[in-house]
Amino acid sequence: MEFELEGVPGIIKAELILNKGFGDILFKINDKEYDLKLLKFSGSNFEFILGNSFYQVKILHSEGIKYTVDVDGINLEVKKRSKLTEIIEKSRSKSLINRENNISSQIPGRVVKISASQGSGVKKGDPIMILESMKMQVAIKAHKDGTLKEIKAKEGSIIARNDVVAVLE
Amino acid sequence: MEETRKYQFIGVFELSKITSILIANRGEIALRVIRACKQLGIRSIAVYSDEDNRSIHVKKADESYRLGPASAAESYLCIDKIIDIANSAGADAIHPGYGFLSENETFSDQCKKHGIIFIGPTAKSMELAGDKMKCKELMTKADVPTVPGSEGVVDDVDEAAKIAEEAIYPVMLKSAFGGGGRGIRLVTNEKELRQEFELASDESKAAFGKSALFIEKYLEHIRHIEYQLIRDSSGNGRHLFERECSIQRRHQKLIEMAPSPVVDKETRSRVGEIAVRAAAALDYLNAGTAEFLCDSSGNFYFIEINARLQVEHPVTELVTGKDLVKLQIQIAQDEDIEFKQEDLELRGCAIECRINSEDPFYDFTPSVGYVPSCYIPSGPGVRVDTYLYPGCNVSGYYDSLIAKLITYGSSFEESRLRLKNALSEFYIEGIKTTIPIHQTIIEEENFIKGNISTDYIEKFQILQKMKEREKKEQQIKSIAAVSAILLQSEYVKKVGDYKKIKTSSVGGNA
Repeated sequence: MEFELEGVPGIIKAELILNKGFGDILFKINDKEYDLKLLKFSGSNFEFILGNSFYQVKILHSEGIKYTVDVDGINLEVKKRSKLTEIIEKSRSKSLINRENNISSQIPGRVVKISASQGSGVKKGDPIMILESMKMQVAIKAHKDGTLKEIKAKEGSIIARNDVVAVLE
Repeated sequence: MEETRKYQFIGVFELSKITSILIANRGEIALRVIRACKQLGIRSIAVYSDEDNRSIHVKKADESYRLGPASAAESYLCIDKIIDIANSAGADAIHPGYGFLSENETFSDQCKKHGIIFIGPTAKSMELAGDKMKCKELMTKADVPTVPGSEGVVDDVDEAAKIAEEAIYPVMLKSAFGGGGRGIRLVTNEKELRQEFELASDESKAAFGKSALFIEKYLEHIRHIEYQLIRDSSGNGRHLFERECSIQRRHQKLIEMAPSPVVDKETRSRVGEIAVRAAAALDYLNAGTAEFLCDSSGNFYFIEINARLQVEHPVTELVTGKDLVKLQIQIAQDEDIEFKQEDLELRGCAIECRINSEDPFYDFTPSVGYVPSCYIPSGPGVRVDTYLYPGCNVSGYYDSLIAKLITYGSSFEESRLRLKNALSEFYIEGIKTTIPIHQTIIEEENFIKGNISTDYIEKFQILQKMKEREKKEQQIKSIAAVSAILLQSEYVKKVGDYKKIKTSSVGGNA
């Protein structure tokens, strides 16, 4: 299988060659063989020794061919590569257009002020509302020009991470 | 004069001995105070909000009482509730920690009215220290050099704009009641000033319940150096040397250390004496910190006294061997400081990293939630003050400081290398932390050379360097990431039976 990693140049080819049993597995990564000793796993958490080094890995999120993986506290964005997955990706991009109109919050917090009004035109970078989290006030800004079709939050309401707070059109 | 007062009060020492302390705080500082209580055989009383009922301070205190709902205004800032609990639990004294009510003179006053000892300065000196303009006046009288700047509190945004124009941009917009850097904003033009004036005012009101802003000329390429102070009820004042706190991001300290690389022995005691004089000018009681700005020619300007125990107090504890919380309690029960200034010695080097639950790769936005597991570093010269434990929760309702990692070494280099190792051992699952920026800084050449100032982060493109460092780390970890994905999709799928694998091949190591 081939993998692409964000921020890491090139493609990584990796395959499972031999399962020796009892958690001993032989991997081939970029034409080099690695012994992997699986020490622990549950669901998406793994602990293993790979090429004589210990790793603690957690697959944080996976969606289709995209994975977010945490290795010893370092986050990596990994993409599986194949012809089939490219087709799937293309069909997905349609729904992405819709999603791009959504303004979501990257942080959890309490809405202290709504600074734009429904139906008004906004420019990229204009503040839509002010959130308070961990004693800090952070503005949620429009990521593109458009008209505010809907504001989904009220002053005083609590917002979770990734919640859609407003919709542009 | 010192001697006579000592004899006068000798008879009441036993009577005022503190036997129980209510800690009006949460997180690592609550735990720190609980530890000091246990050292002194004092009963420790914790208070908690609903959000914190599983927090470490609740578990480690001798007694714990519910304060109220999650929001600070209904719990840790609620003076009446705290006093009520202190009374019903029979607390002799209250330790406010830092933040929350620590610099609230009404709280200090209320404690006194209810016969409870407030471990900190008197309401009067707190009021003076908190009112930055009045404080400046007193300092000028006491021959303590201060930052050139505007006069008085500015209520009106138009007036603010006029003053800023005269002081010449950039200027600092500061909250007179703020603390810890929140509410301090740098503005470079009138448009920014007008925007930020409103935000700073709101923020101050939300955090401290009041707002009063003033303007000060912004000095560039400066160091932030502060002095730890203690002063007893007999008027004996001591300084416990300086802490270098120049490594900041948006006026929030990131790294603190002692000694400062630019303070020599002569300067250390000269400025130390100024700091002690500043404390005397306010008739200050208990532990406090005199903050100074130091320009490139080595001039020190007093900026304020922080009327509380500072976040970075462990740095001083490590280089002086003194327990500051213990000293605070002793001073609060009217004991005199038992050591002289000349008995104190600054030995070795201590460096502290403030670890916040913020994503340094995403503009330091707060990161909150459940921490399923964590590993706290240890080893020679490593101290970690934290409220983290596996299974704890990091709440968005309160400050983002989750841990303080402090290392001690006989030299800066030894301390730094211990810090480097400890940072790499630190593992916190589930939330983003500022560990990567610390790892970047402590290996950066200007930091190693001691070439630091308050604009260090921007000046040496630390965020950019952090991203580059992360990329290298990602490259190193890439084969492990790919292996885990393969394991999940190939191995688990093929072997199929989850339970069988767990018990037969990996059970023993789980």
